[in-house]
Amino acid sequence: MKHLIGLVGTNSSQSTNRKLLQFIKANFQKEATVELMEIKDFPVFNKPADSVLPEIVQEAAEKIEKADGVIISTPEYDHAIPAALINALNWLSYDVYPFVDKPVMITGASYGTLGSSRAQAQLRQILDAPELKARIMPSSEFLLSHSLQAFDEDNRLKDSEQIEKLSGLFADFLVFVDLVNQLVQAHESNKKEAANFSWENI
Amino acid sequence: MKYVGIVGSNADLSYNRYLLNFIKKQYSDLFELDIVEIKDIPMFNQDNDQTNSQPIQELNQKILAADGVIIATPEHNHTIPASLKSVLEWLSFKIHPLENKPVMIVGASYYDQGSSRAQLHLRQILDAPGVNAIVMPGNEFLLGRVKEAFDENYNLKDQGTIDFLQSVLEKFNAFVSLVNRLETPEDKPLPEEDLYSSEPIASTIEGVDMAAEDWVEQAAEKVGAVEGDTYVKLNRGILTVDQINTFLASMPMELTFADENNQFLYYNYTKEAEDMLADRVPGQVGNPLVLCHPEAALKNVGWVVQQLRAGNQDVVRIHVPTHGPDKFVVHNYQAMHDEEGNYRGINEYILDFKPIVDWYLKQTGLKLEGDIDATSGASQAEEVEVDAGSGASVKS
Repeated sequence: MKHLIGLVGTNSSQSTNRKLLQFIKANFQKEATVELMEIKDFPVFNKPADSVLPEIVQEAAEKIEKADGVIISTPEYDHAIPAALINALNWLSYDVYPFVDKPVMITGASYGTLGSSRAQAQLRQILDAPELKARIMPSSEFLLSHSLQAFDEDNRLKDSEQIEKLSGLFADFLVFVDLVNQLVQAHESNKKEAANFSWENI
Repeated sequence: MKYVGIVGSNADLSYNRYLLNFIKKQYSDLFELDIVEIKDIPMFNQDNDQTNSQPIQELNQKILAADGVIIATPEHNHTIPASLKSVLEWLSFKIHPLENKPVMIVGASYYDQGSSRAQLHLRQILDAPGVNAIVMPGNEFLLGRVKEAFDENYNLKDQGTIDFLQSVLEKFNAFVSLVNRLETPEDKPLPEEDLYSSEPIASTIEGVDMAAEDWVEQAAEKVGAVEGDTYVKLNRGILTVDQINTFLASMPMELTFADENNQFLYYNYTKEAEDMLADRVPGQVGNPLVLCHPEAALKNVGWVVQQLRAGNQDVVRIHVPTHGPDKFVVHNYQAMHDEEGNYRGINEYILDFKPIVDWYLKQTGLKLEGDIDATSGASQAEEVEVDAGSGASVKS
């Protein structure tokens, strides 16, 4: 069975993105295991010259490295992903490169109508950066709008059409993981490019 | 112009910091730049509102007071650094100092791109409703290959780059002025005044030639105007027409009444034109304002009436020094309103108020700054500063 990391894209204690990942974990437990990962205790990234990673970052990097894929669920703050998520991605691409060629699926939830659409578009561009270079599942989008009203008291999505859509995307993502594992030709050079991306030695 | 320059990185070594320092130094004749650091600002977390903490409030106050903001951003992972995003989240959570603030984006990077993608993300972020900054369009300044761009004194080496940056910053100055005009509500052009009095109002006496020398006599006959010892009830009292005339003639000023149709209906006729401060002749009464002013003055007359009618000013005053230093002559155009507040025309009163001022100075021992006679009058009294609030200070 495949093992996935569900990255909670916020440091807020109240988060419908966390709820969404919890729902995914519970609802698809027969298809894959999903382990939620929190980012709120990551320190502020400031490009430390010694490149010594905080323990929490090191642990997170190892978990992602081992996982078959990552689902990132992001809210939208000011048309973009939260600073806390940028911060986590800054750490997770600084002398460690767990995202290189890692299959990633993006979901997002928002209180309003747009369901974090703009944040998701930016996140795709960010994950495409040379130090991250994730394999983002193309042509798929899961936008959960009005997320405060979207869950019942058992934390299940209320709308069966939403569940159906999510089920389809999740099944596709498991296929996508297999597919990406066959895309090995460029992996070594991607890895090298990411590692060579040094701020100071150019 | 006063700008705040935000160093978009919390790193100890930042070429964006060098860039802002260079801008501050090189272009000091264009604006004043206050460079602020963001490294003391904590990671945004909505669970732990630190809006009122000192570093956030200091930044907030500086931005509010500035005419514009220049943000210098590096690019991490194809976007802006987490630390800069965090600052913008604080500045759009409970407070919104960037709202309607002109912002210019610059950026420096190690590679060729010069932070191009981060700058585009930053534009989208600054455009979000909670931030609502007004970002200068176009005019991208991307500084690539920063390690080669500066000399040992952290000045930009390339003259072409320096000149281009100058032109962009000059445009930002113009952009800031433009945005400020956007944000101040545009004065709506006031409707043109009809100085020909061509739209009769309820009280207009129709069927009499306004330009006629004997308009008063003709119009009085037409409406059966009362005169002499006929009583008129007023707010508040009863006077005969004769008493009203006596009363108005005793006013120490030249009084003129023009109605809201810009028709000259009355003046307190006590002197002949050559003895008046502003000459009037009996035959002018009844004229539309266009006929009692020289053509060159009509534009100003129209402007004064516009201000009074629109309520922009309750009174327009013009001091007329052409009568010499012995007279303090002021023309006052006072808007008149009925009890409902409707504009009902102009009460123009013209007076020389020097006799009143002289009397007041003598009584109080105050003196006027710049008054040539001040020393003679001050001998009896201690010199007292005229309080500016009293309005008695006249500069000659």
